[in-house]
Formats: sequence, structure tokens, C-alpha cells
Amino acid sequence: MSTVLAFAGWAGRYLWSGWAGAAGLFCLAAAWQAGHELYGSFILPSPLETGREVAHLVHNPAFRHAAAETALRAGLGFLLSVLIGTAAGIAAGYSFAAMRLMRPIVTVILGVPPIAWIVLALIWFGANGGTAVLTVVVASLPISFAGGLEGVATRDRTLDAMARSFGAGSWMRLRTVTAPHLVSYLFPAWTTTAGSAWKVTVMAELLSNAGGLGGDLASARALFDIPRVTAIVLVVLGFALFREYALLQPVRDRLEQWRHAGLPWGVKR
Amino acid sequence: MRLTLDRIGHAFLGRAVFEDLSLCLAEGEVVALVGPSGCGKTTVLQIASGLIDPLRGRVQRHYRRQAIVFQEPRLLPWMTARDNIAYGLAVAGVPLGRRRESAERRAAEVGLHRRDLDKYPAELSGGMRQRAAVARALAIDPEMIYFDEPFTAVDVGLRRVLQDLVIGASAREKFSALFVTHDLSEAVRLAHRIVVLSGRQEGLVAERVLDGAPGSRDDGAVFETVQDWAKDPAFADLFDGGREAA
Repeated sequence: MSTVLAFAGWAGRYLWSGWAGAAGLFCLAAAWQAGHELYGSFILPSPLETGREVAHLVHNPAFRHAAAETALRAGLGFLLSVLIGTAAGIAAGYSFAAMRLMRPIVTVILGVPPIAWIVLALIWFGANGGTAVLTVVVASLPISFAGGLEGVATRDRTLDAMARSFGAGSWMRLRTVTAPHLVSYLFPAWTTTAGSAWKVTVMAELLSNAGGLGGDLASARALFDIPRVTAIVLVVLGFALFREYALLQPVRDRLEQWRHAGLPWGVKR
Repeated sequence: MRLTLDRIGHAFLGRAVFEDLSLCLAEGEVVALVGPSGCGKTTVLQIASGLIDPLRGRVQRHYRRQAIVFQEPRLLPWMTARDNIAYGLAVAGVPLGRRRESAERRAAEVGLHRRDLDKYPAELSGGMRQRAAVARALAIDPEMIYFDEPFTAVDVGLRRVLQDLVIGASAREKFSALFVTHDLSEAVRLAHRIVVLSGRQEGLVAERVLDGAPGSRDDGAVFETVQDWAKDPAFADLFDGGREAA
């Protein structure tokens, strides 16, 4: 019973903190409205016009299909890069030799602009969804990799020794000593990966003409349909906000509750 | 014999810490290992407990369960005090219910209040953390406990309480213990036997068996023993602060 209550309390607090976030978003919308009034609808459609366009678009089955396609590609790219990158990063973190070998490789892969990967993937795979997914994986895998690597490399070895003194095996130590510490390295990496997954997917779709929201954006640009462009941007932002505050942040908040415990009263949240 | 160290030697980066060190611990015996700081006491403890392997010599352990109380509490910051105390049991695969029950019993023994058990280490005072660390060691019903200067960072009053706690537990549960400390009066209060590790890589330079059971010696007797030993050349290293500078 008390655990249910504690969870309800936490969930209530988390939802309530949404007001502050909403206030920030409305400030942004106000600035947008000011820009609209300065330059007119043709350059920058107002938030209201864009909202109407979104409402109009979501009733369009072709658009819904395109949005689902983009979401699927971005999601798949995100999952693949996070799974492979994190696992490889954790493994490399345990081995000094692997760490020394992999660090420059990570720098090299991160140094190649995503746009170059798109061009290469276009040549290798042709204009289809695979191009977008591959670009996302290659462009964001090193971020999770670096997160996992740094997290494992900076684990508290005194706690590790404590666990070993009780005879804890490597899986137990990974689960109870290293993983909770890793979380604070992995989540920033995963948020960045999730953000760039969307951006890279839309970009790859736009350039490879492989449908999805990127394809829609390309045709809207060709038709000079500015409200449609801003509407698509708004939909992508909606996805990004959902992913961040409905999926990633609540998990992180739950996993890192112990951090709140160390803070004095008054600066808790 | 619960623990036998047979002519062990160790070196860090080619610099010898000690050579030819032999030591035995009988069942239920508390041995205090004293020596000036930097002489390798903690290294002996780590070798005995299997945290590091000695370069030379042999270690024989005739027990199943061991625990270490470190100088710092080393509690996992992401676990509540209760789960921290039960950590050794979790490693041993004890089911959750029995784990909790045993953690609560041990917490009460070391003077931790029940309502503190749901707190994270960051919310506990330094003394409470060290109590939790002692409870964590006792929780697995160890046959051997290693103490690595566990009470150096707590105040005098609490240090006495924690020492009494260890004396009581060892009398009750008959575990053997290797107690590393640089505080001679702490060693005299707690131990059956005291061994002195040299500050000049000479291994163990002295051994004294104390009369009576730990806990039976009053403060006067402890004070007198320490005063006597201060004049003893075997303990000279301990009282010579200028050694490291020389």
C-alpha cells in the first residue's frame, strides 16, 4: 500500500512539474507570434495557423502514414544505436586496451558529418528507409558508446572491492554497483541520441526522397506551402517532447531518486 | 586454524612492502594488527581476505563466509540502509523476506532505528553509516571478519560504542577477526592478541598475548598496558612520528 502511495506521490509531483515546462513553451510561442506579426504569414505563419494546419493534417491518412513511417525509422535507429553502442561501450570500459583502441575510432566516426553518411548510404542502399535507419545508427552510435565507456571507466572501485569482499560475481557487481552509476552517463547520451535520431531521419528522408515526414517536407517546400512546413516541424517537435518527457525523463527520475535524498530541504526539486 | 598466512611478501611497482610475513588466526580469536601508517597493514588485510593476490607465499582460508568493514562505510548510495545491510545476503542468494528480516535484526543490534532503514546513505550521519557497515558485515553470520581501521573517522564517544559492539558480537558469535588499527589502546581493548608490523619492511616485529577476554579489561588496565609498551623498543615505530620524514 505504502509503495503505491509513494508512486502516486511521485507521479503527481512529476505531472505537476509539467506546468513549469508548459510555461516555458508558451513563452516560446509568444516569441513566435511576435515574429509572425513582424513578418506576416507568408514568411512565418502564426502558431494558431500552424495549429489549424496540424489539425487538418492529422485527418489526412497519407500524412499519418508518413508520420508513422518516420517514427518507426527513428525508433528503430534509436534502439539499434543505443543497444549496440551501450553494450559495446560497457564492454570497452572494462578493458583498458579496448578503451585506448576505440576512443580515436569514436572521434573519427563522430567527426564525419551525418550528411556524408546519408550520401554514402544512398549509394550503398538506394533511396529507401534503410538509408535513414543506417544513418541514424552510424551517426549516433558513438554517443552511447562513449557514455557506456565513461560510465564504466569512472565506476567507484572501492564499492566494487566491497562487493567482491562479499563474493559478488561480475554480473551481480554490474547490476548493483556499476549500473546505477552508469545511468547518469547513459541518459544524457540516450537523450542526445533520441534527439539526433529524429533530426537525422527527417534529413535522410528529405535528401533521399524516401517518403516519411522528410518527404512531405520536401514536397511542401517545392510547393511553397509554408504553413505545411511549420506544421510538419511542429509535429516533429511534438514527437520529440513526447519522447523526452513521457518516455525518457520519468524513467530517469525513478532510477535516480536516491540523488534527491542527498539534497537539503527546499532545493529538492 | 581459520586463517594461515605462510611467508607472504608483497611489493608495489617493485618496492617491497613486507617480506616473509606469517600469521595464524584461531577460531574465535581477535587479532589486532598494529603498525605506523604506510607500513602495509591494509595490504596484509587485502591479501588475507583475497582482494589482492600476494606476490610470494601462501594464504589458507578455512572458513566459508567472510566480511570486511572498511575504513569508509562504502555503502551503495543508491540503496536504502536496509538494502545495504542486506547486501551480503543478496549476494549469497537469500530470499528477499528473510534478507529484510535479518537486516532489521542486525540494524537493531548496532543501534540503528527502524525508521532510518528506509533512508539512503546520504541522509544518514557518518556514525550511522559506519553502524550500517558493521551491521552489513554481521548480517551474513560470518566466520571471519576483517576490520580495516573502521573507527578512525568517528568521534571518541561513538568509537567506544562501536568497539563495544564488536567486542560483544565476537564474544557472542565466535567469529575470528583481524582488526587493523594504528591506535594501540583500541587494539588493547578489542583483541586477544596483538601483532606489530614493522615500518621498515621487516615484517612482524612483535607479538603480545593479552590477559583475559576482550571487554574484561577496564580503562586503567588499557592505559597502563599502552604506557608500558610505549617504552618497549618493539613498539618504537608506532610512537615515532618522524620516521616517515627521515
